[in-house]
Amino acid sequence: MSQDGCGAPAGGVTITADAASKEAVVEGRVLRGATPVTTGYARLRGSGDEFVAEVPLGDDGGFRFFAAPGDWTLVVLAPGGIRDERVVSANIGQITKVEIAV
Amino acid sequence: MSRTDALVEADWVESKIGQPGYVIVEVDEDTSAYDKGHIPSAVKVDWKTDLQDPVRRDFVDKTGFEELLSKRGISNDDTVILYGGNNNWFAAYAYWYFKLYGHEKVVLLDGGRKKWELDSRELSTDVPSRAKTSYTAKEQDASLRAKRDEVVDAIGKRNLIDVRSPDEFSGKLLAPAHLPQEQAQRGGHIPTAKNVPWSKAANEDGTFKSDADLTTLYKEEARVDGSKDTIAYCRIGERSAHTWFVLHEILGLPNVKNYDGSWTEYGSLVGVPIELGEGK
Repeated sequence: MSQDGCGAPAGGVTITADAASKEAVVEGRVLRGATPVTTGYARLRGSGDEFVAEVPLGDDGGFRFFAAPGDWTLVVLAPGGIRDERVVSANIGQITKVEIAV
Repeated sequence: MSRTDALVEADWVESKIGQPGYVIVEVDEDTSAYDKGHIPSAVKVDWKTDLQDPVRRDFVDKTGFEELLSKRGISNDDTVILYGGNNNWFAAYAYWYFKLYGHEKVVLLDGGRKKWELDSRELSTDVPSRAKTSYTAKEQDASLRAKRDEVVDAIGKRNLIDVRSPDEFSGKLLAPAHLPQEQAQRGGHIPTAKNVPWSKAANEDGTFKSDADLTTLYKEEARVDGSKDTIAYCRIGERSAHTWFVLHEILGLPNVKNYDGSWTEYGSLVGVPIELGEGK
């Protein structure tokens, strides 16, 4: 996946240890029982409810965002009308992990 | 143009699968999406390797476009049905591109790949074999594409619509939040630009909002002046192609251009004015 574009690869862009120390990362997985949900989307919205970013879920049900520090609304959509919405916080140098059961 | 000319629903697309005269084309940045499953009979176009010049920062030229469509088995008379991931960003970009090179019959699947997947519609991994054609493109339609000098000249004169997220617009972020933020260029936006993020034109499932909602968004909330020409831009021109599609193809506004150089070009130009913050 080229970073020349603005789109996101399934699961989000891979992170390095160096990048993790400089970025405010929100990442997680979507699971049905112990099985990853591989078809679906994770979306980040800002404090004004504006869209910020969206990634298709990866093969492990995963997603990753490089956000600015602060509070964000995370929305997960999956087939079957599944929708999960929650508030997450991002901080520079930290990886905020989220696990979503559907 | 209007919504009914440019936008089609999934049921209609299902009825065209495998039908002569119709070619379904998936356009993605991440082509692994196509390889994992696509609408049956769809062919693949990679926005970068197929649509961009491999050396210069520019489109493939007319000859390159003709070779691409010929290889994909697309004829001048075919109706091309475009769809893709990322809420149709790159499919809208390809739509704009098809229009630039004068393809008459092209439509966009409302909601793109995302809505198709969320509806649990059929996906296939079979790659279709289509007979090569002899496609003939027209010269680029300059009325649809803005270049940098025109954009600089448009400051304070035309509607400039920056469709990036508010944090990119203000200069807080240099790229969408699912990407690392290291970039070489400056942050901010073109002075006098209004920030109308592309996402405001789309529903959560990737479909476009109603004509009434879109009219309210651009004409009332963003106060886009209908008496002036309009240029849309983003970071590299694909999100702004989504907005160009809304303004020019769905709402039928005349004189709307997409600036595909966008912020990666403008934000690296020497000496041009840049505005920070929320805009005026």
